Amino acid sequence: METALLEVKNLAVHFQTPGSSGGPGGVNKAVDGVSFQVFPGETFGLVGESGCGKSVTALSLLKLLPTPPAILAGGEVIYRPEGRRPEKDLWQLDHEDLIKLRGKEISLIFQEPMTSLNPVMKIGRQIGEVLRIHSAEKAPTPEEIRREVLAMLDRVGIHHPERAYEAYPHELSGGMRQRAMIAMALICQPKLVIADEPTTALDVTIQAQILELLKELQISYHLSLLLITHNLGIIAETAHRVAVMYMGRIVELAPVKELFHNPLHPYTLGLLSSIPRLDREGELKAIPGMVPNPLHLPAGCYFAPRCPRVMEVCHKEYPLPREAAPGHTVACWLQEK
Amino acid sequence: MWAYFLKRTFLILPTLIGITLVSFLIMQMVPGGPVEQALQRMKMAAQSEGGPGFGGALQTAITSAELENIKKYYGFDQPVLTRYFRWFKNLLRFDLGTSYTYEKPVLEVIASRIPVSLTFGITGLFLTYLVCIPLGIKKALKHGEAYDHWTSLLVFLGYSIPAFALGVLLIVFLAGGSFLALFPTSGFISDDFESLTFLGKVLDILHHMFLPLVCYTIGGFATLTLLMKNSLMEELNKDYIRTALAKGLTYRQAVFRHGLRNALIPIATNIGMIIGVILSGSFLIETIFTIDGMGLLGYQSIVNRDYPVALGLLVISSLLMLVGRIISDFCLVLVDPRIRFR
Ligand SMILES: Nc1ncnc2c1ncn2[C@@H]1O[C@H](COP(=O)(O)OP(=O)(O)O)[C@@H](O)[C@H]1O
Ligand code: SF4
Ligand SMILES: [Mg+2]
Repeated sequence: METALLEVKNLAVHFQTPGSSGGPGGVNKAVDGVSFQVFPGETFGLVGESGCGKSVTALSLLKLLPTPPAILAGGEVIYRPEGRRPEKDLWQLDHEDLIKLRGKEISLIFQEPMTSLNPVMKIGRQIGEVLRIHSAEKAPTPEEIRREVLAMLDRVGIHHPERAYEAYPHELSGGMRQRAMIAMALICQPKLVIADEPTTALDVTIQAQILELLKELQISYHLSLLLITHNLGIIAETAHRVAVMYMGRIVELAPVKELFHNPLHPYTLGLLSSIPRLDREGELKAIPGMVPNPLHLPAGCYFAPRCPRVMEVCHKEYPLPREAAPGHTVACWLQEK
Repeated sequence: MWAYFLKRTFLILPTLIGITLVSFLIMQMVPGGPVEQALQRMKMAAQSEGGPGFGGALQTAITSAELENIKKYYGFDQPVLTRYFRWFKNLLRFDLGTSYTYEKPVLEVIASRIPVSLTFGITGLFLTYLVCIPLGIKKALKHGEAYDHWTSLLVFLGYSIPAFALGVLLIVFLAGGSFLALFPTSGFISDDFESLTFLGKVLDILHHMFLPLVCYTIGGFATLTLLMKNSLMEELNKDYIRTALAKGLTYRQAVFRHGLRNALIPIATNIGMIIGVILSGSFLIETIFTIDGMGLLGYQSIVNRDYPVALGLLVISSLLMLVGRIISDFCLVLVDPRIRFR
């Protein structure tokens, strides 16, 4: 089997929360024991309700979370460019070496292209800056940078690259801004792109265009794409494999087709059945029941308070992930029979 | 956008009329104006000429004709609005009238104080920005650390000490009052100023300026420092800083290349007010250090009811403020591409 480009093992990121109004503070285990792999050239989806820890997972891979309040509690983030050894654990790298990877080999696309771009710097300069800081030996001339940026703006489907180059973020439409963000993420030809809800802030029609673009770029650059979304419809259209997250843990991980045809975790079933049939939009509708307080998690399965198939054992211990089919793991006591 | 600035420029005139008219009217209502003062002087003169006992006859000594003359001399024989419009018409010809106290053109009187004001104003301004901007940045980067706390303590101490109290303290401790005599107690230049070389003159002025300058600026440090700190901290929490880090910039680069430029926008908003330095001065500090500056002039013009000077200062400072506002807006357009006035 192919070696994974990125292998995340038992990732744990916690937040120390200050006690509010006299109550004691606690540790919010925002991400607690998450493991997955992203293979070269694949789109790996991470899906779950808002607040389940997707963004924290994404940001922590490159240590982009401010610490404090975040605590990188444990885990390994193994990165193997071209299957090369020795492999690197991104969390163990020297800061200088990690910074050299950011934006060059692993880059990010954020949800809000408006606030994620510097409002007082021209788009062209913001994209060119990535090239400038990552040019190792000989610095490229301003003309070279300009030419490359214009080519990339054209590549991501911006019709008037020259105009966009000289524009400030607020002068572009939301879709164009997100294309500029994508250009920024791709300008150094990274191996892995982490896209955190890249279309959530956009109109439905623009969403589809941006997703098409990401899919097309992923194939032509042979990118690995870690696609984070709360929208199962996007996963169905874009991802090869998918992990479903609930309260900081992955509850089910499977190839996308397998997940949609043979969902095993009651939470995944809930997500799927809450997609309205006639609606092409795969927005997640609320599953009945209360989401437990992250500071006071139940002793057993975190989904037990909302699970229609809850059993006695579910309240006692958290179920271990089991391989139900090749490449399909589920963490649920139902699998133990 | 040019139309906007043109409109703002035209609006200066009506605004100025509003400001000066109200002040003009208020000044007329205050007792102890020039006519009353002249009468007082005449009474005193008569009193010292004649001996005691003639008091009763004195009342009639100033005839109504004489009173009319005095009023005429000061222009007070006309109704107040007429006087205002006469004054304003002269203003349009850059004639601010003649000072009652100095009996010289008002413009000349004010201009004579400008060198002192400018020297204090400009050095004070540079000092303030030179201290506050870097200090604010460093405090933002070290938010919550010991450095942040003790510098806050210092700037708030400076903020809370009244300038005149600090002035007295400094004179007592550093200017030969009772302890050290490191600085001159008073004045703006030494007696032998003319005999000094150019460098000597500059140093002499700086030597004289140091203590008053400290009093003059120290109260303003807190505001600008905290403005800078808060503005930068707010920017550092924004998404684009995270983007900058994700691009591979170091935190320092993200702060200085991206955060700082945004954080300086609120500070640039005040930049036009800088032209106010032409009239800067503080009555209390100038009194303590016996400096003949603008603050003292303004104070004395009001106490002595020297209306032409008081109004002249008001006109010039209002004008500077109004023009400063426009310059500020213009700077805002330059630094913030999102702002377009219509
Ligand atoms: N800066 C922070 N400080 C404290 N808690 C945080 C912070 N960022 C995220 N969290 C917590 O981490 C959990 C996961 O958040 P996040 O990863 O943003 O969710 P999502 O899946 O919607 O992206 C949430 O419970 C959130 O409250
Ligand atoms: S472990 Fe139990 S409670 Fe949890 S999802 Fe499975 S059946 Fe439901
Ligand atoms: Mg998120």
